[in-house]
Amino acid sequence: MNGTTIGVIAVVVVLIVDVVLLLGLVTMKAVNRRRAQSYKLRRAAYVATLSRRLTSRAASEPIEARAAADDAFLDAVIDMRNIVTGEEIETLAGIVDGLGLARRQEARLRSRFPLGRRLRAAVSLAEIGDETTATVLIEHLSDREPEIRVQCARGLGRMQHTAAIDAILERLGLEEPWVRARFADTLVGFGAKATWPLVAYIRVNLRHHDNDGVVEAIRVLGVIGDREVGPTLAGVLRVASDPEVRIATIEALGVVGGPLAIGPLKATFRSTDWRLRAKSATSLAHIGDPSVNSLLARGLEDANWWVRRNSAAGLASLPGGADLLLDAVSSDDQFARDAAAEALADCGALAAARERQEAGLTNAEDRLLLAHMSGQVLT
Amino acid sequence: MIREILLRVGYGTLVYFIGMQAYMIGLGLRSAAVMRRVHHLERFGRVSDMLSSQTSPPVSIVIPAYNEAAGIVDSVRSMSIVGYPRFEIVITNDGSSDETLQALVEAFHLERVRIPYRPDIPTAPIKGIYRGHGAVDITVIDKENGGRADALNAGINAARYPYALCTDADVILDSNCLVGAMRRVVEDRERTIAVGGNIRPLNGSKVQLGHLVEAGVPRKLIPRMQVLEYLRTFLATRPAWSQMEALPLVSGAFGVWKRSAVIAVGGFSSGHMGEDMDLTMRLHRHHVDNQIPYRIVYEPSAVIWTEVPETLRVLRRQRIRWHRGLMTAVKDFMPMTFNPRYGKVGMVTWAAMFMFEYLAPIIEFIGWVTIPLAFILGALNTTSLVVLLALAFGTGLLNTLLALLLDESYGYFNSRADTARLVVMALIENFGLRQITVAWRIRAIIGGKRTRVWGNMERKGVANLGVGSP
Repeated sequence: MNGTTIGVIAVVVVLIVDVVLLLGLVTMKAVNRRRAQSYKLRRAAYVATLSRRLTSRAASEPIEARAAADDAFLDAVIDMRNIVTGEEIETLAGIVDGLGLARRQEARLRSRFPLGRRLRAAVSLAEIGDETTATVLIEHLSDREPEIRVQCARGLGRMQHTAAIDAILERLGLEEPWVRARFADTLVGFGAKATWPLVAYIRVNLRHHDNDGVVEAIRVLGVIGDREVGPTLAGVLRVASDPEVRIATIEALGVVGGPLAIGPLKATFRSTDWRLRAKSATSLAHIGDPSVNSLLARGLEDANWWVRRNSAAGLASLPGGADLLLDAVSSDDQFARDAAAEALADCGALAAARERQEAGLTNAEDRLLLAHMSGQVLT
Repeated sequence: MIREILLRVGYGTLVYFIGMQAYMIGLGLRSAAVMRRVHHLERFGRVSDMLSSQTSPPVSIVIPAYNEAAGIVDSVRSMSIVGYPRFEIVITNDGSSDETLQALVEAFHLERVRIPYRPDIPTAPIKGIYRGHGAVDITVIDKENGGRADALNAGINAARYPYALCTDADVILDSNCLVGAMRRVVEDRERTIAVGGNIRPLNGSKVQLGHLVEAGVPRKLIPRMQVLEYLRTFLATRPAWSQMEALPLVSGAFGVWKRSAVIAVGGFSSGHMGEDMDLTMRLHRHHVDNQIPYRIVYEPSAVIWTEVPETLRVLRRQRIRWHRGLMTAVKDFMPMTFNPRYGKVGMVTWAAMFMFEYLAPIIEFIGWVTIPLAFILGALNTTSLVVLLALAFGTGLLNTLLALLLDESYGYFNSRADTARLVVMALIENFGLRQITVAWRIRAIIGGKRTRVWGNMERKGVANLGVGSP
């Protein structure tokens, strides 16, 4: 076989593949177009049927059994589930049960279907599942597919299935960051019910080398905001050596710590690690006690830029802090000056000074601030 | 003797061409596997859960602007409603000679402020900083002219958050683009230093109030050809590069960068015509040389729309600028090329960039000269000539069709008219238009260096691309 023959064969093969792909493309576009149109019509029809069933239970318009196998019906049920309230939820649950919709999705989830169908099943169960579905969802918290694990946790959170909290926490430290973040969102959704399981989890896992789960659990406690965990977190701050754990704890203490957290936070504000100092400045300000004003004012002269900035922002939010910031506007340190000015602008002091200027009522502090903002230097 | 040389050169270009197409098709097939998974996650995965999450990392959207008075306000308004829980917008007015700054100040009620600006990356002098206190944090850095890279650096200096989305003033962001890109950051916050997005031509689409309402294929041939080019690049190439964690380029129109990493390598290079490629490659080099674990990835679901040139004159200018940027980058990073120390970047993606992007116009040009000459001098018979041309056409078409099939997962361009336009374009782009772009790239090589730091593209502007735009 000479070169030309090989070339001809190659051309024929390539052109055949081209024709197949071209026909495939045109067909796929036509099919997708029709499928999308048909799906929209079916979904709208199902929404209309379900609406009639829910609003007038007497007029029991039948829903064909084959609808249970139609994704358009499933999406219509999910749409309705998100908007109905009261008795209508019960009626819709009855329809879902009657058609075996959840059971069908459970079977899909358990099967070895391709990813797309299993994922759809998990999403559907997360939306329409009830207590009877919880076992399947808990079982799949360790599914091989991360997104399915996320959906199962979401579903358990939606149905507020408290028995799932421990199951989710068991996986928290083992998960990849994306799934861990979504699990954390679910735990936040459980609210105060998750507080003590989270505390127990932190106590058990704190001294382990892999602290990713503990960091996330502490963040969740901060977001839930249950003040009863303040002493526990203050204890964590005393014993933890991992900077990530300490940073997360400082942040959470700003929310849940209250006055008792001021002492430990003052200690971390003196840390050699600038990240701890910066986070402590923010948390101290969050607590809202003006007794830390002088400490934060010292933070305006910190060697690290973020500590100065957070200290300034913190002072702006505290009673009496604005006076200290105005003092800092005439500081020798340009960054401290600018950080103070930025914080004063953010807390509305600049706008107030401008208003007084327009009314001809400016005082010395206003003039200093306005001059600094406009770039002039007052001597 | 001459016939023999011509024949050998001709076959040499053929071997090169087959290698290039095999590489492209290989990438396309690998991208298909990646895209299939992305498609499922896009349809059923709840990336949007990040919208309500209190742990989503905040982002600074950095927009460089030079003489953008006509469209900047609409662009910023459009960007300010992007779906993301916590972000700020930092606009750098790079010494515009028009009313860009005034337009922003008036529209967003900005006031001149002093904020602690850290010149972590040196830039042209800052003239003033303006900030608004509306629903979205908007900061405008007014500085002396220094070019796009310099403007981006000033924006990165002023950004308050650890990640910066660097984009352009004339793009439309898909509402989920930031969530899609930041998902990749959340997946691996320690190692992820840059995430590239999927850029698509806006021409031919329907836009209302700065938002895309319907994607469409442009009627004009030049932007339509670019639709295919963008699909080949962003759907059939980058997903595969990204999966290898060897992405050699995060495009300037959409890139989420970790601020600390960008600052560590000195920011974008001012005066560089391919500042996005330059920064991406410097980040690779810095992290490999210093043995810092990292990854630079691409997210196909992070879609943004940009206006592409509609005339040959503007397209020519753009392509010459792009190729000069590539030439500079190839020269700067030559020690990384085929260097196993740099792993897949050195041995695969950057090596391929050198072989199939930098050298392509030269070798293709040689092919276009020697093959007809060999045919005229009788060194190549008619059958061989037809085979060569058919192979070139067939493999090029295959690559394009693969990209179009991958695009099906997005559900755009499904009308009969759009399908017909795309198919016709796929069939005809190899007859003339491709050769013209090769000629421009040759022109870039022989034309020497001329620095133009702001690409002077004529645009209609986001707000002016109304319903029924071509």
